[in-house]
Amino acid sequence: MTDGTGKGSHDIELRLPADLVQLPIIRGLASTIATRADFDLDAIADLRLAVDEAASTLITKAAPESTMVCTFTLADDELRFTGRVLTREQQAPSTGTFGWRVLTTLTDSATGWIAANGQGNLMHIQLSKRKPVATP
Amino acid sequence: MSETGTRYPTSSHEYEHLRPLFTELASLEADDPRRARIRDKLVTGHLPLAEHIAQRFSGRGVAKEDLVQVGTVGLINAVDRFDAERGADFLSFAVPTVMGEVRRHFRDTGWLVRVPRRLKELHLSLSNASTKLSQELGRAPTPSELAEHLGISKDDVYEGLEAGNAYNSTSLDEVLTADSDSAALGDLLGAEDAGLTGVENSGALEPLVAALPDRERKILALRFVHNLTQTQIAERIGVSQMHVSRLLARSLTELRRGLSEEDIPD
Repeated sequence: MTDGTGKGSHDIELRLPADLVQLPIIRGLASTIATRADFDLDAIADLRLAVDEAASTLITKAAPESTMVCTFTLADDELRFTGRVLTREQQAPSTGTFGWRVLTTLTDSATGWIAANGQGNLMHIQLSKRKPVATP
Repeated sequence: MSETGTRYPTSSHEYEHLRPLFTELASLEADDPRRARIRDKLVTGHLPLAEHIAQRFSGRGVAKEDLVQVGTVGLINAVDRFDAERGADFLSFAVPTVMGEVRRHFRDTGWLVRVPRRLKELHLSLSNASTKLSQELGRAPTPSELAEHLGISKDDVYEGLEAGNAYNSTSLDEVLTADSDSAALGDLLGAEDAGLTGVENSGALEPLVAALPDRERKILALRFVHNLTQTQIAERIGVSQMHVSRLLARSLTELRRGLSEEDIPD
């Protein structure tokens, strides 16, 4: 694990209070990044909805007063979002909910997991969206 | 907005033949079945008035079809409120009523924040270009394809797309067109394997989905059950992809809010 300040990182990282009022900032950044990476309008809109859904899931599971960290990674034709929050939950987000159905429909892959970090448990949700293969 | 100086048909001879209908309407009892027919005639007969006024407000970032609908609502209100016995001319009563309705649309249901007109127009032309390109390409266009198509810079495209996020999702046609496709509800909730019956929170979800407006429920089903893209849904429903996107965002927020109220924190 690096702290992200080293050379060679092209990640875009956002740290903000794990509070639902922050959602517009997160989805705004998601659509700005996808737009400038020249994803098509459907993919941009889907990603925006998916990030909104993932972030709000994480925020509702976050420990009070905690911070959420969102990382956006752009590699080749794929945009990856990873959100993480400190949580009191022991289990990864359920994949049986309607919210999870939303995530898997809107993205190419959605993964959720829990990892311990010394202070407690970190809940993660990672989404990735690829540009559709161009049909000339 | 400069309304003065532009002409709308106030010279009443264009609508002269409709005048007796007001007198007739006034003479009928409130529950007379003939009222509805006369009212329809009056509204239909004066429609050019609503269209003229809508035309005057076009090119300000709201689609003309929307404006005609708003104008028509104003016209219906004017017909209903007009008191023929007071001897006033209907047009001098109707014009400010219709204009008021259109102005209210701009104020209440148009742009949420003050967005410069240039950006509203940019957003509108992006929306139109996107619909056109989607048909040509068979998929949604990218920002660079939009820039090329419109002959503008990519930065302008970014700016125009972003401006769309300040647009209110409550559009008039949602209120006016009752889309009673109840099959969509079945799609979401009924079908054993395709619907949402498999999801673990479906019990809590059901009433929330049922409470959504018909069209939002339909869009939700098309996206999350039938897996259509937003562009395909837009084509099917007859609105822009951007509008589909806004409606989906609103539905999902609504469902999340409802579900979180169900949650009992441990």
